[in-house]
Amino acid sequence: MSALEWLHRLLHPQLEACPRCEREVRTAPAAALPIRHPGPRAVLSRLCGDCRSAVPWILAIGCPVCGRSARCQDCLRRRVRHVERSRCAVRYTEEMKEWLAQYKYSGAERLEPVLAAMLAAPLERLIVERAVPFDLIAAVPLSAERLDERGFNQAERMATRLSRWYRIPYRPLLQRVRHTEKMSFKSRRSRLTDLRGLFEALPETRELRKPDDAPISLLLVDDVYTTGSTINECAFALRRSNPRLDVCGVLWARS
Amino acid sequence: MKVIVYAVQTVEGWTPYWTVDWSIDRRYWLDGGFREGVGEAIGPRGIPRPSEATPRLVKLMEPLPLGWAEAVCDRLKAEWSGRSRELALESVRTGMGQALQAVVGEGERGNLLSTMTEIVTAGGAGAKDENEPGRGNAWEGSSDANSRAARSKAEGRALAERLPRLAQQLAGRSLLREEAASMLAAPDAATLLRELQLAALLGAARLSAAIAPAAARGPGLRCRRCGSAEARMRRTACASCGRSGCAVCEACLALGRSRECALLARGAEPGASVLQARRAGVPAADELCGRWGLSPAQRRASEAAVRFLRGEGEFAAGTRAAQAAGHGGRERGLTDSGPPNVGLRRTAIAASSDEHGLRSLVRTATARLLAGRRRDPMALQARSFLLWAVTGAGKTEMIFPLLEAVLSAGGRALIATPRRDVVLELAPRLAKAFPGYSRAVLYGGSEERWHQAALTLSTTHQLLRFQEAFDLVLVDELDAFPYHNDPMLHYAAAAARKPDGATVLLSATPPTPLRRAASRGRLPHAKVPVRYHRHPLPVPRALRMPPLHRLAASGRPGLKAGVKLPGRLLQALGASVARGAQVFVFVPYIRQIDGLVAYLRWSASAWGISPEAIDGTSSKDEGRRDKVVAFRDRQLRLLVTTTILERGVTVPRSDVFIFDAHQTLFDEAALVQMAGRAGRSADDPAGRVYFCSAYHTLAQRGAIGQIRMMNRLARRGRYLLGSEEGEG
Repeated sequence: MSALEWLHRLLHPQLEACPRCEREVRTAPAAALPIRHPGPRAVLSRLCGDCRSAVPWILAIGCPVCGRSARCQDCLRRRVRHVERSRCAVRYTEEMKEWLAQYKYSGAERLEPVLAAMLAAPLERLIVERAVPFDLIAAVPLSAERLDERGFNQAERMATRLSRWYRIPYRPLLQRVRHTEKMSFKSRRSRLTDLRGLFEALPETRELRKPDDAPISLLLVDDVYTTGSTINECAFALRRSNPRLDVCGVLWARS
Repeated sequence: MKVIVYAVQTVEGWTPYWTVDWSIDRRYWLDGGFREGVGEAIGPRGIPRPSEATPRLVKLMEPLPLGWAEAVCDRLKAEWSGRSRELALESVRTGMGQALQAVVGEGERGNLLSTMTEIVTAGGAGAKDENEPGRGNAWEGSSDANSRAARSKAEGRALAERLPRLAQQLAGRSLLREEAASMLAAPDAATLLRELQLAALLGAARLSAAIAPAAARGPGLRCRRCGSAEARMRRTACASCGRSGCAVCEACLALGRSRECALLARGAEPGASVLQARRAGVPAADELCGRWGLSPAQRRASEAAVRFLRGEGEFAAGTRAAQAAGHGGRERGLTDSGPPNVGLRRTAIAASSDEHGLRSLVRTATARLLAGRRRDPMALQARSFLLWAVTGAGKTEMIFPLLEAVLSAGGRALIATPRRDVVLELAPRLAKAFPGYSRAVLYGGSEERWHQAALTLSTTHQLLRFQEAFDLVLVDELDAFPYHNDPMLHYAAAAARKPDGATVLLSATPPTPLRRAASRGRLPHAKVPVRYHRHPLPVPRALRMPPLHRLAASGRPGLKAGVKLPGRLLQALGASVARGAQVFVFVPYIRQIDGLVAYLRWSASAWGISPEAIDGTSSKDEGRRDKVVAFRDRQLRLLVTTTILERGVTVPRSDVFIFDAHQTLFDEAALVQMAGRAGRSADDPAGRVYFCSAYHTLAQRGAIGQIRMMNRLARRGRYLLGSEEGEG
């Protein structure tokens, strides 16, 4: 490198790269963030204007059960419900599918804080709606094979970040008993039947207790809500093991 | 992933190994019948053998993350070199434990691994493996040792018989485990690992971690696929190896995840390049080039390139040019060379975030001080040749003789080009020119991803999947995005070539360092100063205009009232339209296009065309392809665009207007390329080019100078039409 180049580098303004598209952030983004906590806000404000305005936040709740922005059929169809309510951060648009695929399948772990920070929006909404603070956070588990292949469990990673920001303790309470094909390849019916008995609560779940046996508010984290059956099955396993649990779901995207 | 580390006493003494399939290694070393069967299938020559009749394996009890396993083996090899025969069993055991401790000590804390070892023998407890294929109750119950040996032998042979095919498929490749599984069409993960491991044991393939472990005094980690150094590594907790800081290379993430504990499968080391072989009866360079109907200028350059490939004539061994070729740049070995250097400053930013980064920064800095000189990832590879051909010279035709020279000698050739549309456009032409050779066309999502072909046409990114594969690497448009200024792609192109192969760089506008190297005789080169139609290049004319931002408020469609384009400019545009030319208008920024299109449409009726015949396009435009086609078909007469169309677009009978030519975005190369859109067809060789700018810049002067120089060279070389008659 010549002396001139070195000098140029020294004097050149240090532009930060957007953690999503890796391009230089030049303009201040205008889109507002539906989040109060300074931690996730700081993460999301590092996005460039284009990426930040591409996020299709769910701001108006259409279905009080699953948090979809429109009224939904799935929640009406389901008779037995183990999840009190779920809230989702964004609509699962093509763009969001690409973000998640980059993180989950290509392993772009630089996106992890961004996706976790986006989960702060539905979490804050839940806290306001319920007026009861959460006691614990848990995540939907992966099978051992998938975990070995991917190297990380996206739900767990996001849950631990939320746990640190909102000071709610994280506990691994669930395990996956069988290995199934990727959920994203399946139809609604086969998802429902395949999921039966897929999750099991760890022994620790049984021991959870609050003073004077008050109900325990548990927050369950997952990435995508399609029919809600995964999170419902998890809640079922948890509540069978410990009936004092009140399970709420917080999910990154609602398809 | 995790692997097993063990040591065995071979005829060469104690040797450390790591394995992705312990059962294969254990069987290979401990079961003589199995080994014999393997030897029968692939020939007994050169396969490793234990020194004793009843060998013992010393194995670390706990599986290790792959990166660490490799580091432990490297350390042991270094420690035992020279005295590996005299080692006592006990010192092997303690040595292995100590090596592990040293390696993990260098890594992060909080990863407790047992340093215990166990000894595995043929009869020992460790020898039983229930999961072993082909071993059922019959074996347990049988007391007949002979039939057992015969059976092992048959199994060994059956496994080894598949190896030659695997070795041939892996040759010249560098693949992550998932890619290898897809290429070799392995039925399941276990089979793949078993076959790969046996191949590695016998030297038919090379297995390693995808990221090279940091050497004791080396410059930190380095991605074996893309050559990126510490600065592009991100350390994360990894569930497949259990480490809390397993590095992932972020640079080549788009082509699969290369991480410290990931398996990288590479073919065995290649033999000497066919270019090195001197053979009688091959057609001479001029004869070879005569077949392809080239113009005199093209032919002269192609002949020089062919002589360069073969090391003939002025490039014969011992001549000055040959020395220049050999010392034109640093030889880039694949295992020993340092990492491409990413500036210190960038490292510093990464370092502030965590401790590893800080340590690596110190390590990088010291390594650099020790090395004394910065290594440049963009440095020229030895045995490179620059083919500097003006825009519209007909580069594609010129490479045919080079390809023929390599293919007819039985070698493998690669054409790498930055852009996918160029790949798709070139593929049928190559198929027509070389019907007798196997071909593969590679781009993101290509069906022929795993074809091993004599002639490969590929986008530059796909090169990451090759290693030491080609005798000739042709890099097209080396100054174009994304190849230009990307150390990863430079590394990939260098690594894809056999160490003694040759590289030919093609460009109309080589970057300054290459031009300097060429003019100082450090880089063998040939210039083609004239277009295929043998008319001079149109020389750009300067036109003054106020900067565009004063005309168009940024981001707002339409132009501010009152400020107009100068009359002379509108007249020049009108004249171009009137003479029937297709008009390119280049602007620096996408946001300026819409406003300018709206403005120019006001003048459409004055020029005698409909407003719809004026349009704009950019990289963000979905209908770009259609608009370019419409422009070529003369439905559109004036196209406003950005540098996206600066290359590869040939529109007969076209004129070029570059607005805001003073913008720094338009460097010399971009200006020459844009000017090169004009006058490309033989029936209208004198297209017009205007640099419309607020002020003159060095880039504009340089571009005009370059075009004039080429025209001068063409005249002097008597390549221009009419010049032979006039002077000769």
